[in-house]
Amino acid sequence: MNCEQYQELISAFLDNDLDGATFKNVQSHLAVCAECAKVCEDCAMILDFCSEDLLEEISLPPNSKALWCRINNIIETEIKPEIVQETIKAEENRSRLSKIWNNSWQFSMSQVLTSILGIALVSSLLTIVGFKNYSAADDQANASPSVFERVLSKVGLAETAREKRERHLKEQQATVEYWNKRVEARRVNWDAHLREAFDRNLNEINQVVIGYDKILKENPQDSISGEMLDSAMTEKVELLREFSEL
Amino acid sequence: MNLYLRELFTFFNDKKTTIVLLSVVFFFVSAAPQIIFSQKKFSKTYPASKNVQLRLTNRTGTVTVVGWNRAEVKIVAEMETSDTSIEPQNLSGTISINLVKDNQGKNKVGYVNFLINVPYDSMVNIETVMGNLNVSNIRGALVRAHITTEGDITLTDIFSSSVSAENLIGDILFDGEVQSGGTYRFTSTRGNINLRVPFNSSFNFVATAPSTRNISLGSFNNPSMNFGDGRRVFGKVGGGSATLTVTNQRGSISFISR
Repeated sequence: MNCEQYQELISAFLDNDLDGATFKNVQSHLAVCAECAKVCEDCAMILDFCSEDLLEEISLPPNSKALWCRINNIIETEIKPEIVQETIKAEENRSRLSKIWNNSWQFSMSQVLTSILGIALVSSLLTIVGFKNYSAADDQANASPSVFERVLSKVGLAETAREKRERHLKEQQATVEYWNKRVEARRVNWDAHLREAFDRNLNEINQVVIGYDKILKENPQDSISGEMLDSAMTEKVELLREFSEL
Repeated sequence: MNLYLRELFTFFNDKKTTIVLLSVVFFFVSAAPQIIFSQKKFSKTYPASKNVQLRLTNRTGTVTVVGWNRAEVKIVAEMETSDTSIEPQNLSGTISINLVKDNQGKNKVGYVNFLINVPYDSMVNIETVMGNLNVSNIRGALVRAHITTEGDITLTDIFSSSVSAENLIGDILFDGEVQSGGTYRFTSTRGNINLRVPFNSSFNFVATAPSTRNISLGSFNNPSMNFGDGRRVFGKVGGGSATLTVTNQRGSISFISR
């Protein structure tokens, strides 16, 4: 047997529960093995401590059952408020949701129909606006605004044809300014003939632009003039861009 | 010696002789620019595959492109100044000449006149800053002629499905066929646009001449045409399979049947 097996028998050895041969065997091992002897000594001390004489010295509190009842009551009173609070909160939430749930269905048939029609109308109008925005630019810029478009533009949801054209014109003018600066830088390198040709042609486009601008001030809805102005501005940009490379 | 001087004086005193002499002087003076003009000549021939495309960007000068029955592209250029560079590139069926790029930064490039022969079925895409563009005898899919400023565009005997001509100041003449399903676009700011197409042509068209309102449809006029206030005319001729867009800001538009 090894030490571990001997240590398992120590408890029975101290209680005198072992047979004679085993008892002698354990006894002879404890005589030679210090480790197992120490374990045996510890166990003997514990047994001594738990002996009846000691237990008698530690007296039980009077009416121990009543004491346990008190402890239990205290624990229950501390736990209950937390549970109650959680329950109250959950119930409040539930009641709020049920209120909303119940309220949302408190519509009359006419109200439901009106809201459906409203949603349908708004979505169809938005679809129309979307289609209009994606249609050809010239059509957009020149078409006279419908009542709906005018209403949308008043509330800031859509641009009128005039606003759109003015915005586009501003963008084109910014592009013209950019290329104009580049042309001015290159111009000194051109010969007189090229300079004259450039000025002549730019002047021609400018006259066209001025002409259509005048017409559009008098009649902002003139689609052809709007289209021609856009075309002339595009030509101007193209002229400046090409001359800036010379 | 005195006799010699007297004879010389008599010679110059003669009115007829003076006129002849002045004419000779005038001839040389007037011919001088031409003599200066052709200071340098460039000529090169390339073998051309079928459906070859010619792309040319000129600065100033006349460009003439003529279709011929040979599988080669011949480029002849006459330059005003000797330091003008021409470096054509032949890449995957496209012959490109870009005089603007080739001479960028040069102060004096001058006139360059091109005469280019291409196979009939070539695509022609030419542009210039200033000068005339002439294209004739082309049956390729594309003919594009663009002048940034001034110059006339003359497109004759064109049988292409995509034709575009654009200038700022100058006339445009198109004399060719309108192909079924084709797209034709002619734009000018000031000049006359003349379109000569067969009487049995079929196209949808929009012609706009807002300043002059001078749009003449000739024999192509029919009751289905919409004249509006005269600035823009649109309608259908025949089945209307092709699309024609003609815009002239400050000039006239004429349709002529052939």
